[in-house]
Amino acid sequence: MRTKTRNARTAVAATAVLGLLALSGCGAAETGKSNEAGDKKTVKLTVPSWVGAQANTAVAAYLLEKELGYTVKTQQMGEVLAWDALSKGDIDGILEDWGHPKEEKQYVETKKTVVKGGDLGVTGHIGWFVPKYFADKHPDVTDWKNLNKYADEFKTAESGDKGEILEGSPDYVTNDDAIIKNLKLNLKTNYSGSEASQITAMKKYAKAKKPFLTYWWTPQWLNAEIDMVEVKLPAYKEGCDADPKKVACAYPNTPLQKFFNADFAKNGGKAAEFLKNFKWTTEQQNEVALMIADEKLSPEAAAEKWVKANESTWKAWMPKK
Amino acid sequence: MTAPEHTNAAEPVFSVRNLWKVFGPKADRVPANPEYAGLSAEELRARTGCTAAVRDVSFDVHKGEVFVVMGLSGSGKSTLVRCLTRLIEPTSGAVAIDGEDVLSMDKSRLRALRRHRASMVFQHFGLLPHRSVVDNVAYGLEIQGMGKAERRAKAAEVVEKVGLAGMEERRPGQLSGGQQQRVGLARALAVDPEVLLFDEPFSALDPLIRRDMQEEVIRLHREEGRTMVFITHDLSEALRLGTRIALMRDGRIVQLGTPEEIVGSPADDYVRDFVRDVAREQVMTVRTAMRPAADVAEAEAGASVAPDATVSAAIEAVARTGAPARVMEDGRCIGVVDHQGLLAVVAGLGPSDQKAVAA
Amino acid sequence: MTAAVTTPSKEKPAQRAVPGPGRLASVVRHRAGRKLLPLAVAAFVLVPLGVVLWGGGSWPAALTVDVSGPLDDANEWVIDNRESHPLFLYFLLHLSNTATDAVDAVYNGLDALGWVGFAALAVLFAWRAAGFDRRGAKTAGIAAVVFAVCGLLGMWDATLLTIALMVVAVAVASLLGIALGLAAGLSDRFHRMLRPVLDTMQVMPAFAYLLPFVLVFGTGTPAALFCTVIYAAPPMARLTALGLRGADAGVLEASASLGASGRQRLWTARLPLARKEMLLGLNQTIMMALSMVVIAALVGAGGLGEEVYSALSTVDVGKALAAGIPIVLIAVWLDRTTAAAGERIGTSVPGGSRLLHGWRAWALVAVVTAAAAAANRALLAPTWPEGWTYDISTPVNKAQDWITEHLASGVPVLGGTEVWSENFTLWVLNPLRDGLVWLPWWALLLIVAGLAWLVGTWATALTSTLALGAVGVLGVWTKSLDTLSQVIAALFVTLLLGFALGVAAARAGRFERWMRPVLDAMQTMPQFVYLIPVVALFGVTRASAIIAAVVYALPAVVRITTQGIREVDPAALEAARSLGAGSRQQLLQVQLPLARPALQLAVNQGVVLVLAVVVVGGLVGGGALGYDVVKGLSRGEMGVGMTAGAAIVCLGLVLDRLTQPGAGRSRRRHEG
Repeated sequence: MRTKTRNARTAVAATAVLGLLALSGCGAAETGKSNEAGDKKTVKLTVPSWVGAQANTAVAAYLLEKELGYTVKTQQMGEVLAWDALSKGDIDGILEDWGHPKEEKQYVETKKTVVKGGDLGVTGHIGWFVPKYFADKHPDVTDWKNLNKYADEFKTAESGDKGEILEGSPDYVTNDDAIIKNLKLNLKTNYSGSEASQITAMKKYAKAKKPFLTYWWTPQWLNAEIDMVEVKLPAYKEGCDADPKKVACAYPNTPLQKFFNADFAKNGGKAAEFLKNFKWTTEQQNEVALMIADEKLSPEAAAEKWVKANESTWKAWMPKK
Repeated sequence: MTAPEHTNAAEPVFSVRNLWKVFGPKADRVPANPEYAGLSAEELRARTGCTAAVRDVSFDVHKGEVFVVMGLSGSGKSTLVRCLTRLIEPTSGAVAIDGEDVLSMDKSRLRALRRHRASMVFQHFGLLPHRSVVDNVAYGLEIQGMGKAERRAKAAEVVEKVGLAGMEERRPGQLSGGQQQRVGLARALAVDPEVLLFDEPFSALDPLIRRDMQEEVIRLHREEGRTMVFITHDLSEALRLGTRIALMRDGRIVQLGTPEEIVGSPADDYVRDFVRDVAREQVMTVRTAMRPAADVAEAEAGASVAPDATVSAAIEAVARTGAPARVMEDGRCIGVVDHQGLLAVVAGLGPSDQKAVAA
Repeated sequence: MTAAVTTPSKEKPAQRAVPGPGRLASVVRHRAGRKLLPLAVAAFVLVPLGVVLWGGGSWPAALTVDVSGPLDDANEWVIDNRESHPLFLYFLLHLSNTATDAVDAVYNGLDALGWVGFAALAVLFAWRAAGFDRRGAKTAGIAAVVFAVCGLLGMWDATLLTIALMVVAVAVASLLGIALGLAAGLSDRFHRMLRPVLDTMQVMPAFAYLLPFVLVFGTGTPAALFCTVIYAAPPMARLTALGLRGADAGVLEASASLGASGRQRLWTARLPLARKEMLLGLNQTIMMALSMVVIAALVGAGGLGEEVYSALSTVDVGKALAAGIPIVLIAVWLDRTTAAAGERIGTSVPGGSRLLHGWRAWALVAVVTAAAAAANRALLAPTWPEGWTYDISTPVNKAQDWITEHLASGVPVLGGTEVWSENFTLWVLNPLRDGLVWLPWWALLLIVAGLAWLVGTWATALTSTLALGAVGVLGVWTKSLDTLSQVIAALFVTLLLGFALGVAAARAGRFERWMRPVLDAMQTMPQFVYLIPVVALFGVTRASAIIAAVVYALPAVVRITTQGIREVDPAALEAARSLGAGSRQQLLQVQLPLARPALQLAVNQGVVLVLAVVVVGGLVGGGALGYDVVKGLSRGEMGVGMTAGAAIVCLGLVLDRLTQPGAGRSRRRHEG
């Protein structure tokens, strides 16, 4: 009798699952919804987690809405997720990309669902940095050959008997473990796990005027608050970072790129044209970023302020009639 | 000892034959094996790892009687009553209701049996805490598929019958134990079953309330004449309510008989020990105490008592007149009772002892 | 058991003392010896073999399996096929589109009510669920305050979006949980099968499965919704099963005796009897779902989570707090409402107007809400008036700066948090981690096997050893030991603080009342909000990760401890008092020993909760597995993330088995 009940239960469960399948199987679902963008005049942009890129999105969104009459929907998500969303048409554009060779190959070259959108105009650079107050006291720290001499100064409880180099969010590309090993440096990476943690720690050190060494980059709004000096690593040469295990050179300069959904780039009308034209300098981006991060303006307010003051710059981005 | 009685001509309501219920691994090999038949409960457990809750039990329940199964805890009486409607599946044997084999019923027949023919009252009430009194009473009707208005109307009648009028909308949690059991009783009555099964219904109640409830059962039985199977561990309750009593020990019925037979002629020392403190004059009838009339004079004159009257009633009559009383049935004197006979019953002397005294 | 409770408890230790520690110790030796002997024999044979074959020290490379490769391949496959494969076209995409539509519909519905209408709905809903009476009015009052504060903080729209997502997520999670719980409640086999699945669902960090969900269902609402459902459904399933299994057997028998069929019994008896547990399940499901709000924002679900997350990028604690407070308040609102509804079950005395009960009352709620919405539409703007907001971020940031500055290093004599953190890392965390890493792999397996066997059965030992072995096989042995050392340290601190606070709360009612909102806030405040202050105080170290874990796990430990001590049989306590036991004696000799099952449960829950925030630890310098999980998500490397996630689940399995409350009997002998 018990087997009978079990069979009956299994039958009920199977029916339920089949029913569900039948319900959903009545037709193929719509994939991506990017074609809406043209008709309803909605542009979907991603908001990355760092302030510089938020400045791009804020200014672009402000101009799209106020000057071109679009509705802009912004969505926050991680970088790789944004690439995926871009490919599916869930978003239309990424305005600042620091280099994702794997995704670029997959989506731009193989699947052709994403197209390049040209330079943003800002050049990014990653490197090792020490605060200026420390570099002023010990000018020779800015050469990697002398880093071992100062390893003791950078010691923390986490790094034990080695010097600590503070690392940032896992979002960002880093070769530091390999560099330390290959250059035989007496250093140890400490992964702070998020940009917020890293910035908090840096602010704390700076306030106490303590020495520290960190993986860092420009443009970054915090650079206006804390003066940072780069430590020179062996110069970057094309291909010296090809094998991630053998890297022993500095990071390259990265002209930051824009990418668009292929469909949007073709059918996006004025919005697509405007975003392709969107190009500004590191200083201009930093100006907006500082308003957001330091003056605690909302991104919209910061964008408005900048747009009002820099009409000549953005006029050039407008699509030709 | 457990010989079924075939004296009653009417078909029994329940007929139980060689019923076994064994708990434990490979339980079904126990009843068939004569090797295990003579073992005590502990020996059986040691040998087989099984516990026999009901061992080779046979009896009939007649229409209109209150059949009491009595025994101490662990004697298997609660298991036995559950086997009747297969709330517990018996290991072997036969159970029939109105001649229909219960053990071979399929699911729906069994459900019909439980819905319409036999309903049960439980020791711990088993009420649904989230429902009002009237909805609890109507629960059995709901399960039968009766419409809401109809079943509530019917339930309201039964609620009144068990003396809970005015409490229809309360929740079980707001009632006393006695009131809750009245709800349980009403729920069983509401489906108008052929047989009512009671599983120690009053043992969780205070003594005074227990007495009330017993009265209630007696009243119901008198008014409706419904067949009842009543499980209890309380001897006085068994004697009060039972038409016949089956006394269980270690899963077996050690004696089956009327209250008077149990008290008057215990089958063994266990039963004797059990009934030792019973107020015998309350249970024994005049029939046991009487002797043939010595002469015509004795049969013609003196106070008269019925043969089913209790000994205590006869004592009262004999004490008042100072002379033996006549036992009258259908206007005919079938014997007399005197001091000696009555005292012998009170003293618990058997018929043979009585003779010795008389001699 | 009864004897132990009713005997005057002063006697108990005395009686125990009579046989003398010597005899007890020999029993221990005997029992433990008998258990450990076969293990020792097995070890004697296997260990040399293993060492010869693969060497000692860290986990042998020969015994690892690369799972990242296949996972990354699966990742590719999904990306390449999701626009064409029938599985997507005919099933998964439907799910994803339905999810988006459902959340949009709820959001638009709530938005259409206008702010007055929505506030009216929230307040009346709370009132109705708690019963339309004076006690219910208190719950309604809480709801009113909650939404007023959400509006004042300028978070009205984000709150609405979050609530829309929550409504759908909780509904789906509850249905899924009830379905699973029903099956587990009715079938023993399914129950046994389901348990490890539910354990995995809860311990597997959401970060780890966020990526596959995004790939399959797309960014935004669908992925966020399904992740939330996965995380939030287990309590509903567990409690439904518990309720069904724990149903009063007498009632079920009575129902069967009346001839109820299986389905009738389910609907009329089993489910109604399990209502209390199921409501508790709903309550827990809501709390779990709310704790996913910020993580949902990582994949673009928006709402309050996005506000918190974007505040982090500018290191703006005040702004994060302004978004975190509404999350806490929503949790309080729903917690109090469901709790009040739960208290009502089985005790309600219908009285007063019929209008205030049953479906009529719900109709009343609907009518008043509609009226409020209409009035809103006619007279006021549909969103919360902008002038009625207050920006807390500046004062909060100032306060935070002041606090961190003074606590980090400025505390006289005690040094300050920075010094503590440094010493804790140097003297506790580093030795613990280095010790674990130093142990040869086989020694660690052996220790775990031995411990598990002592606290449980051979099955416990086998499960824990295999789980630890699996960590090695996954190729993350050293990282896992690093994480394990942090988890052990965090657990230790949590239990120390938790037991102390729990005892204090159990003994002083006022202290408990004062603690309750603090504990609520600690449990429901998104960890992302306090990441910055924690780093500011303790630096980018593993100590910060531990602090984050302690903050999260502490409330549950305190609550379970308090309740366990409170529920000690008053008769035993009275007996002790009658013998003149002092307050300390009562605590040590009666309350704590009798509350042992609760304390064991607290330990077990502590383990689960500490593990649940390993990932958050990775965000403040915890490194190891937590960092890998975050890295897997943010770099789109499914292999890395899932491997680390699976390792966390395995560690959870080991620690859970070692602290299983059911395994207490043999441990008691140990301590006796």
